[in-house]
Amino acid sequence: MSAVVTEMPAAAPKGRRSSLGGYVPLVPPLTVLLIFFAIPIGMMIGISFQDPKTAAWSLVSYEKFFTDNLMIAGLLRTLVMSGLVAICVTVMAYPVGYFLARSTSRWRAVVFALAIAPELAGVVLRTYGWLIILEDRGFINDALIWSGIVLSPLPLAKNLFGVVVGLTHVVLPFGILAIMTSIQGIDPNLEKAAQILGASRLSVLRHVVFPLSVPGIVSSLLISFTMAASAYATPALLGGARFKVLATMIYEQIMFYTNWPMAAVMALVLLVLMLAFSFAGTRAETRLHKKLNV
Amino acid sequence: MPITKRLFASVVFTAGAASVAHAEQLVVNSYGGPYEQIIMERIIEPFQKMTGISVVYDSVGSASQDYAKIKATRGRPGFDVVVMTASQSLDGCREGLLEKFSAKTVPNLVKLNPAINRIAGECGAVHELQYMSLMWRTDKIKSAPTSWSLLFQPELKGKVILPTFQNIMAANLVQALSVMNGGDLLENVAPGFTAMGKLAKQTVGFEQSSAVMETYIKDGQVWAMPFWNGRAQLLMDSGLPVDYTRPKEGTIPLIATLNVPTGAENKAAAMKFVDFFLEKSSQEAWVTGYKVGSARPDIEVPDSVRARQITTEEDLKKLLLPDLSITATKLPEWGDRWERDVVHAAN
Repeated sequence: MSAVVTEMPAAAPKGRRSSLGGYVPLVPPLTVLLIFFAIPIGMMIGISFQDPKTAAWSLVSYEKFFTDNLMIAGLLRTLVMSGLVAICVTVMAYPVGYFLARSTSRWRAVVFALAIAPELAGVVLRTYGWLIILEDRGFINDALIWSGIVLSPLPLAKNLFGVVVGLTHVVLPFGILAIMTSIQGIDPNLEKAAQILGASRLSVLRHVVFPLSVPGIVSSLLISFTMAASAYATPALLGGARFKVLATMIYEQIMFYTNWPMAAVMALVLLVLMLAFSFAGTRAETRLHKKLNV
Repeated sequence: MPITKRLFASVVFTAGAASVAHAEQLVVNSYGGPYEQIIMERIIEPFQKMTGISVVYDSVGSASQDYAKIKATRGRPGFDVVVMTASQSLDGCREGLLEKFSAKTVPNLVKLNPAINRIAGECGAVHELQYMSLMWRTDKIKSAPTSWSLLFQPELKGKVILPTFQNIMAANLVQALSVMNGGDLLENVAPGFTAMGKLAKQTVGFEQSSAVMETYIKDGQVWAMPFWNGRAQLLMDSGLPVDYTRPKEGTIPLIATLNVPTGAENKAAAMKFVDFFLEKSSQEAWVTGYKVGSARPDIEVPDSVRARQITTEEDLKKLLLPDLSITATKLPEWGDRWERDVVHAAN
């Protein structure tokens, strides 16, 4: 008994020390997050409650945001644009991600390099590239007019279409990586087993691979949506004055009107929008998993 | 001992020289492109030669981006002199973000036209004047226009480019069209917005940057547009078939200022630079180099330059001069109206 009693107190502090020691590696990243994320977000929330003219506490910027149809239109444009980009990216990324995860072809490395290659060029460079292709006097319109298919340029840039095309190109590599990683995590023997039991290739994809790759699809949707919603350069260049989204409106409020409280309100709305989408996506993934019994 | 002494002396000398060199450095923030080339050649290099102060030129950011940086850092943006506009000078002065100039710190200030200088307030040293001109392609429009009404001609449909509201030229155009249609510069600008709504239907699009706007007229896609006369003159001089005029209904000047943020590290050198830029010889070099006007009435420039630039109080009187501090307070309301009445009409 006495031996047990003397051993117990000695073991407890040792265990506490080691469990505390486990947190030490977290200190540097948490400090960085606190200084460069938590404190600025707190400051931004504080600024959003200031009156732009007197700097006194006020809800005037919130009131203006939620009652002004220009602001609401900007919010809706952001939602529609980000939703379309998320869908386009995921639909285009799935076959590429599946090929990269399962193929043993020597072309796999080439396809992988091509999928990731757009990331090697900057966003602004790629967006200018699309502008040259899509604008009224761009490559597509010139070719269409020259061949007599259309008489006047098609509106391909400075609108929703142009921005969705540009952003899909920017975000696509991230969607491919998310889906590829998810499919790589699925045991290939499951597909073989289903085929041995008589399932067609399409049936295996539909009933085995697709349900198990739902986390990858959700990740792709979430990443694409949040990247599109917070993108500035592509909507600014390909959307122009006629297609303003929250990110470009925030820039205007800071740089032109020097109205920081309004910019802070818009940034908070954008943040809440992205958090809500992430939360909804995670919940949907769980429900889908349950529904598909995987 | 002698070696130790020598070492000590060299360390002290090096440290001293380093601190002197540091004190005599100046960071000037302004624009890139042709502006940078001309300011380096005509102002900065002579200034360095005369004073021995080394200038670091920072061409990042537009005037509004620079002002936003001054606000965000509470007057410590990392540059000592910045080129902005009279409107930003007034606002920054009111907010206590910009240094006030006096005849003691900037002796050449008294040589400027007092009326022009007053417009920029105590914190802005007016170093150049431009005006919003009507620029057109001479190979497309044969008879020289004299009125803003050119932009509304049916044959120019799809041949006009307009600035976005984030370019102050947009607000100035609304004001000029307002006066042209029976309104005024500040309180009754409804006629200006109505006219802009009609003009929006003529436009090929809206661009924020003047540098991007000029690409449309360069490639012939656009035949006429509002443009700052200094840049218009540079395009003319480059051989492009364009010309510009001061429309008979009047136009609005762009009063550019030199400013020193309150937290500038090299304030004494900054004041010397501002004063140097306002010297008679510097102003003459700037007016003939960048093709702009000056607030110094005593400069000697060719008649051909004087004919197209603002160089006297009489020239200024011919322009429309809104109260810039009131204009600044109106911008948010006008910006909303621009989206509703102008951009929407273009769609």
